[in-house]
Amino acid sequence: MSVSLPCRIDAMNPAIETSNLTRDFGNFRAVNQLNLRVEAGRFYGFLGPNGAGKSTTIKMFTGLLAPSGGTMRILGQDMSDARRALEVKRHIGVVPENLALFDNLTAREHLTFIGRMYLLPPATVRARCDELLAMMDLAHEEKKLTLEFSHGMKKKLALAAALIPNPDLLFLDEPFEGVDAVASRVLRDTLKQCVGRGATVFLTSHVLEIVERLCTDVGIIAHGELVHQGTMEELRRAGSLEDKFLAVVGEEGHEAQKLSWLE
Amino acid sequence: MNWDQLQTILWLRWRLARNQWTRGKGVGAVIAGIVAVGACVMGGVSFVVALLGGIYGLREAKAIVLWEVWCGVMVAFLFFWMVGLLQELQRSETIDLQRLMHLPVALGQMFVINYIASLFALSIVIVVPAMMGLALGLSIARGAAMLLLAPLALGLIFTVSAWTYCLRGWLATLMSNPRRRRNVTMVIVLGFILLAQTPNLYFNVFRHIDRPVPGATPEEARRQREARKTANQAQFDQLLAVQKFIPPLWLPAGAQALGDGRAWPALFGTFGFCAIGALGLRRAYQGTLRFYLGETGRKVMARVEPNRMPAAAAGPAKSGRRFLELRVPGVPEQSAALALATFRSMLRAPEVKIAWGSSFLVPLVVGGSLLIRSNLKVPEAAKPFIATGAVAFSIFMLIQFFGNQFGFDRDGFRALVLSPAERKLILLGKNLAFLPVGVIGGMMLLVLSSVRLHPPPLVFVAAMLQLAAILLLAGLVGNVCSILVPYRIQQGSMKPTKMPGLAIVTILVCQMLFPIAMAPAFVPPLAEYLWRKAGWPTAVPVNLILSAILAAVLALVYWQTLGPMGRLLRRRETRILGIVTVEVE
Repeated sequence: MSVSLPCRIDAMNPAIETSNLTRDFGNFRAVNQLNLRVEAGRFYGFLGPNGAGKSTTIKMFTGLLAPSGGTMRILGQDMSDARRALEVKRHIGVVPENLALFDNLTAREHLTFIGRMYLLPPATVRARCDELLAMMDLAHEEKKLTLEFSHGMKKKLALAAALIPNPDLLFLDEPFEGVDAVASRVLRDTLKQCVGRGATVFLTSHVLEIVERLCTDVGIIAHGELVHQGTMEELRRAGSLEDKFLAVVGEEGHEAQKLSWLE
Repeated sequence: MNWDQLQTILWLRWRLARNQWTRGKGVGAVIAGIVAVGACVMGGVSFVVALLGGIYGLREAKAIVLWEVWCGVMVAFLFFWMVGLLQELQRSETIDLQRLMHLPVALGQMFVINYIASLFALSIVIVVPAMMGLALGLSIARGAAMLLLAPLALGLIFTVSAWTYCLRGWLATLMSNPRRRRNVTMVIVLGFILLAQTPNLYFNVFRHIDRPVPGATPEEARRQREARKTANQAQFDQLLAVQKFIPPLWLPAGAQALGDGRAWPALFGTFGFCAIGALGLRRAYQGTLRFYLGETGRKVMARVEPNRMPAAAAGPAKSGRRFLELRVPGVPEQSAALALATFRSMLRAPEVKIAWGSSFLVPLVVGGSLLIRSNLKVPEAAKPFIATGAVAFSIFMLIQFFGNQFGFDRDGFRALVLSPAERKLILLGKNLAFLPVGVIGGMMLLVLSSVRLHPPPLVFVAAMLQLAAILLLAGLVGNVCSILVPYRIQQGSMKPTKMPGLAIVTILVCQMLFPIAMAPAFVPPLAEYLWRKAGWPTAVPVNLILSAILAAVLALVYWQTLGPMGRLLRRRETRILGIVTVEVE
């Protein structure tokens, strides 16, 4: 897995940089003037309660959703420029919220298709498919269509698809959700390996322990606004990630909610 | 189960149906409302019409006429019932046991309530009042004994609904695997399509063989007609003789016997229906119980496991790997990858197989009956138009694929949005995916028509060029439609979903205009016809030359518009994504 893509992306630029990034759905503002900066080669955990705007933000970064306002630069490129956005896509891997799988293809076929769309040489596609299927424990399910996969298997296949182009930047929306413990461990090691060779990982997760263990940087979003951003070291000095998270997203509200018939 | 729970389950059933009807909002909800009210009105009208028909129309009718009328009612009911069953099989939201058995209700109670809920069908709402009206009308006109037709008809409905329920239970067990579910649905739909073609084949092919030989003298023709009439009567008499062994025919047989003044066949028929229906319900309950206890699953696993394990151990699916890794000469890598993936994906979707199968089957049935008609005379001047029409028709059958290229991708379209491929290459890949089906369908129909019509070789070659032109046109127009008016196709069916009212109207207009876009293909044969009409030299192959020019021009136009279309796709891809995926922002 040593074939790398021809890279015209400046490694000195931040991997992600946004300015007043906003997304509205009718009258509802899902993301409100987000100013985010993720340095290259970092492992960034993007946290927030349900409906905070995490997935919407990732969708905007990856071109699945157009921003309503503001600007963003991914790998140093302005994403409002269509040509540059396409160039950026050659260097990113994505596991979106609702995955991106074709129902009627097998795991190998899907990976082959994705590899070819990234213009990888045939031998590389074949070799990486073999390695990824073995790593994700999907090799023995080759006759199954993705339609027949369990949610966890689908998630593993989507992760494999994100890894096949050996990307410089990985966007992972809840990558560990529904994944078994063995695959989760393998995945964690793989992501660490990616960061080790200089790639950037941007992930969202509800599992604070995983974020605390893996990430070097953390951003917390609530009601569409970035309420905290910093390194994990800074955070640890001030207490645990859970304490910080509950403090910034509003722990008090939860305290007040008690079921009357349980008292 | 107490009354409150029963009410709640009925409310749930109603709510699921209502939500499904009104999901489209606007026009969709209005259409659903019209259908619901229309069904009720039709039920009332069918009752009144059948009542009056029974009183005045069948007062003096012969017993055999009663047989024919009730036979028609029975066939109508079975037809509507089968249509409803097909819809039910494709429906995603059903009240199944797994969704309710964690609640405080017993299995037997759930079974009964589910069965009763299954009776709220359009066919019953419309046909049952007609049956009751007819029985009542006949009893008023011909005597109270005719009232025995009411329980007899209800017995038929009980039998059909009970065995259908049993079948649905079996299918539900069989279809617990989503892939198997789609295959079963496909087989049933295909069977239904073939069944619907039976009258066409019977009247146009088999009956046609019996027709008098052209050139026969009037006396010979008369003799043949009489012989045919005698043979038909003999067949009909045979049917009447064996009808007591065919349960659905017990209803018309009972009516015929009552018309002759005999009540026992109707009574026996009613008891027979009740017994068969009860047996069906018993089997259905046993099936439900087995499913609940997991016994059926174990049987399925026992059958599947030995086959699955060696296959898993055998390693990668080599044929699948090779196909997706194919290189297509002269086609950009990303377009080739997408074309192969889309083609493979579509070939595995049973609903697409049905649609593509129909696009081959319908021309085959139509063309087959055309070939068998030995007395068909086609003017020489019409042959080029027929050849062009044949290839145009084959592509017309693929409109829904060309015009909605991303709707079948569903969540897979997200992979295209995320891909680094230029959008014009994505469009090219999508168009290429439909090429094999278009070419095979077009050539098949062209060859079929040529076998019978013997057009000059130049007409055949010109039609092949026109096929290329039509495919390019379909690609051009299809790209525009796919980008501007995409719609999601529900998995396992060809049913569009998430369609606002305006989209329905736009799509209907687009699909109606699509054939008009094919009109340029008819210009070459028309030009040749006018050329000949004007008396100019017949040696000039106007049709062939113009077809070649048309194909070349369209190829150029297609290539030139691919870039702008790609840019349009890029601008609209997030909007298309929102439409073709299940995701609701």
